[in-house]
Amino acid sequence: MTKVIAGDKTNDERIREKVTHERLADGTPDFQKIENSEGFRELMRKKKSFLIPTTILFLGLYLLFNIVISYTDWLNAGFIGDITWVWVFAFSLFAMTWILVTVYMKRAEKFDEMAKDTLKEFDYDEEENR
Amino acid sequence: MNATVIAIFVFIVGITLVITYFAAKRTNSASDFYTAGGGLTGWQNGLAIAGDYLSAASFLGIAGAIALFGFDGFLFSIGYLVAYLVVLFIVAEPLRNLGKYTLADMINARFNAKKVRGAAALSSITIVIFYMIAQLVGAGALIQLLFGIDYIWAVLLVGIMMTVYVLFGGMTATSWVQIIKAVLLMVGTVILSFLVLKNFNFNILEMFTQMKTATPHGEAYLSPGVRYTIPLDTISLMLALVLGTAGLPHILMRFFTVKDAKTARSSVMWATWIVGIFYVMTIFLGFGAAAFVGSDLITSTNPAGNMAAPLLAQALGGDVLMSFISAVAFATILAVVAGLVLTGASAFAHDIYGQIIKKGQATERQQMLAARYASLGVSAFSILLAIFAQSLNVAFLVSLAFCIAASANLPVIVYTIFWKRFNTTGAVSAIMTGLISALVLVSLSPSVMSPEAGAAIFVGDPLFPLTNPALLSVPLGFIGGWVGTMLSKEQDLKKYSEVNVRANTGGFRQL
Repeated sequence: MTKVIAGDKTNDERIREKVTHERLADGTPDFQKIENSEGFRELMRKKKSFLIPTTILFLGLYLLFNIVISYTDWLNAGFIGDITWVWVFAFSLFAMTWILVTVYMKRAEKFDEMAKDTLKEFDYDEEENR
Repeated sequence: MNATVIAIFVFIVGITLVITYFAAKRTNSASDFYTAGGGLTGWQNGLAIAGDYLSAASFLGIAGAIALFGFDGFLFSIGYLVAYLVVLFIVAEPLRNLGKYTLADMINARFNAKKVRGAAALSSITIVIFYMIAQLVGAGALIQLLFGIDYIWAVLLVGIMMTVYVLFGGMTATSWVQIIKAVLLMVGTVILSFLVLKNFNFNILEMFTQMKTATPHGEAYLSPGVRYTIPLDTISLMLALVLGTAGLPHILMRFFTVKDAKTARSSVMWATWIVGIFYVMTIFLGFGAAAFVGSDLITSTNPAGNMAAPLLAQALGGDVLMSFISAVAFATILAVVAGLVLTGASAFAHDIYGQIIKKGQATERQQMLAARYASLGVSAFSILLAIFAQSLNVAFLVSLAFCIAASANLPVIVYTIFWKRFNTTGAVSAIMTGLISALVLVSLSPSVMSPEAGAAIFVGDPLFPLTNPALLSVPLGFIGGWVGTMLSKEQDLKKYSEVNVRANTGGFRQL
């Protein structure tokens, strides 16, 4: 299953190098080796640098909203006509959810590619899933 | 009950039975039964998640709450929706990559320990039972109102239907009942919203202006504070909603019906759009009901406001629309309870019987039999409970289920995926601390103990002030997991490497 991406010499070489020692003696994959590989660590760095700030952001805004409406009446001021800021904030949370989902879907495609490359590097056979 | 109601009702029930018939032919293995063979596409599973999630409490309950309490009625929807970010970012993909049929499978991908599986199964069963009683009691009361039949017959009708779907059609039938219900619910809600907006001349500003004077609350109707007046109580409840969804076993189970993490992800995307658009439309339903039905008629028909949407349909679209909306409400109830039966059955038959008692050695035939007996058992037990719980005020049970999910399931999921040092003792103590603290705190809360006779189950001063204890019980679940882990020397870094790699790459899945 070591399909080589055309033109990617370094990847090609890397695969050739690793191909002899990607399995432990008993035939199971060496997960610690994969975990410590450059590809996997890069994937985790990228994932964390997206997921941690965004999770703090959305949970923070959500809690802030609940605290503000519970303890103050700041948001009862008018926005346009008789629509008050509390509706605007509530809809922003809806919009935030949709935007973050859309952004994540895009990012996750990158993550998938990185994960695939890492697995390829370790001569992962997709048939093992079945 | 007029002829139109019966016709629409019979038509919808007929469709679901045809689906069940075809699904039954395709349900030949435990994998078919629990996960529809893992063959659903992203949009199918997204619709099914929405169908599983938008219970009668969401449809009739929120529309009614908005009609009666304005903004405060809408408040829950925000938590219910933002919760999907927790599902998407933290839970969905690792769950699909590590698990097979149940949440316990996913946790046990790291700890192959009976006690961890047992604890996870116990918390799933507890959540399912609370959720189910709430749905069935609510369903009984509603069907009684909608179709004018006795409570016991109403519960039996729903109970028998859900048993038939699950027993014969397993996850395939359940999923398609949920998908069809989601489509019907969206169609019904779009029609009602359109009619309401038409009556406000398609002018949102005018709608808000009219709502200022349309209800007994006056201007306060459009602001927070009509219903939820105790700040910490509101915050605790909203915390349970946003964190609980990612721990609800019947929602988690839906991620095993797709083939990989990518599809799991796209099903969350679909669900988020559908659920979000639905909640936006409940505002029109609620406002419309308040303006064109009026709070007097809504509360005199049902004090909790659950009849607001059907009454609105009657006011704007006459008998035919009312019948259609009632039938949609019925389909909604069926889809949710069928999902719950299946989830409860999976915890009993797969986790407890198949993995703990039979140690994973049960034959395919034994697994299928166990799954079907467990479905029958779960159905019969919940029907019985629902019949005896008729007079109980069950509104708090759904938020209690969210609270247990957030306190008992979310911490163990997060630790299993992210914490290297986490171990079996920690896993058991995370689940049990969250579960027990949520249950104990609720039983001491104003939901169970009220000085006012009849307001809660027992008369007396509540020993714990918050109606929903998530604010305390969720941190307790996390602390419980941490303390348990630290008290035991056990750790398996090699196993964590495996789980970490499998959860994040989707490779080396073990089936």
